[in-house]
Amino acid sequence: MSTPQYVAPESLEDALRIKSESGADARLVAGGTDLILRMRDRVFTPKLLLDLRRVPLTAISCTAGEMRIGSYATLSQILAHDEIANLFPALVEACRPFAGPPIRNRATIGGNIVNASPAADLVPPLMAYDANIVLSSISGDRELPLAEFFTGPGQTVIEPDEILTEVRLPLMPPDSAASFIKLGQRRSMAISIVNLCTRLSLAADGTVATARIVLGAVAPTPLRAVAAEAVLAGNDITTALLDEAAQQASRESMPISDVRASGSYRKRMTAVLVRRALSAAWGELGRNNSNG
Amino acid sequence: MADRDIQMNVNGLALKVNSGPGRTLLSALREDLGLIGAKDGCSQGDCGACVVLLDGQAVNSCMVLAPQAQGRDILTVEGLAENGVLHPLQRAFGETWAFQCGFCTPGMLMSCYALLSSNDEPSREEILTAISGNFCRCTGYQAVVKAVQQAAAEIRASSSGDGEQGRAPA
Repeated sequence: MSTPQYVAPESLEDALRIKSESGADARLVAGGTDLILRMRDRVFTPKLLLDLRRVPLTAISCTAGEMRIGSYATLSQILAHDEIANLFPALVEACRPFAGPPIRNRATIGGNIVNASPAADLVPPLMAYDANIVLSSISGDRELPLAEFFTGPGQTVIEPDEILTEVRLPLMPPDSAASFIKLGQRRSMAISIVNLCTRLSLAADGTVATARIVLGAVAPTPLRAVAAEAVLAGNDITTALLDEAAQQASRESMPISDVRASGSYRKRMTAVLVRRALSAAWGELGRNNSNG
Repeated sequence: MADRDIQMNVNGLALKVNSGPGRTLLSALREDLGLIGAKDGCSQGDCGACVVLLDGQAVNSCMVLAPQAQGRDILTVEGLAENGVLHPLQRAFGETWAFQCGFCTPGMLMSCYALLSSNDEPSREEILTAISGNFCRCTGYQAVVKAVQQAAAEIRASSSGDGEQGRAPA
């Protein structure tokens, strides 16, 4: 492993100043569950490791119509948070099968986002809930939709002087339900073959006001299947409509073949799992369907 | 950067390790402090053989940088026994044969100890979740579940004052 310097500043201001001075030479370390491997493999050779563990970035709070999750909040923290479980259950469902407890005790929501793995488990639910992220630098904060953050595997729009500090989730309208599904080779300690999250928010007349279908591990970045969402939007839900949306989502996926699965398998499973997730969300909305 | 001293509280003792910033906690424990209970299995957070407690939480010590442990409490398998008396969990592992080759055992014990610290009556499902980051490649997991249940019962009995002597987890 390379031997970078290590610094754990006491304040965000100090951290932002260091990041501003060192740019890409300074790499943020949080749980380290990904970074340490990549340093060992010399994929990353940072000159400076910047650890924000002393900076208060782990808070989770619900204020002004939104849930705010500090970027250093661990998956274990999210799993144990009753308010998140009530308001954003699909996010908790994505944390539950994530690796195992020792990893969940260290891995952070910010790390899962910034690593920009196409298979990141937390991203589909966060995007399905229309999450925004806050990128901070010494010149100020900017807030942008998480959906606009990723540009490729490991690639994002974050600038060298920026630090991801917070994730913001708007509270869902009434009559909303979301469902996360992960397909891995086992229940724990598995990188997703396909992961996805669907959300349905209904209008007062029972039609679909908002649909979100977010696919992971089937494209260079987590992917909103916008054409599949459009199949649902404005319509009454029927099993045929859910079938059509699921097929459309599969057409929008563009998976590669790798050690975990073939591209064609992923594409087929995308249809199957989107259908299941939509059924689960629909079922939860109390619109009984018998064809799930 | 030159090596520097990192102070941490290991098994109740304030200890210093002289560690470069790129080193892992596992390497510091094993090579500097001679605490070779935690094992270097996969070196990538998959197998759980290196699990220790960091401020009471189970972590893979192969994925913690030594300076990240600065000033924090570390508990390793060597810290479970007290005055030469095995912790009820260790004894239960022995009595139920919850190991074969023993390589995974220190990490397994620490994950189970973390569970019992917050839950003295875990369900089978909760035990399986607690050890889901610990791989055993010989015996399997059924005996581990049995051991944890036996230890939990013993800890409950001793804390209610009518059982045999056993030390409750911190």
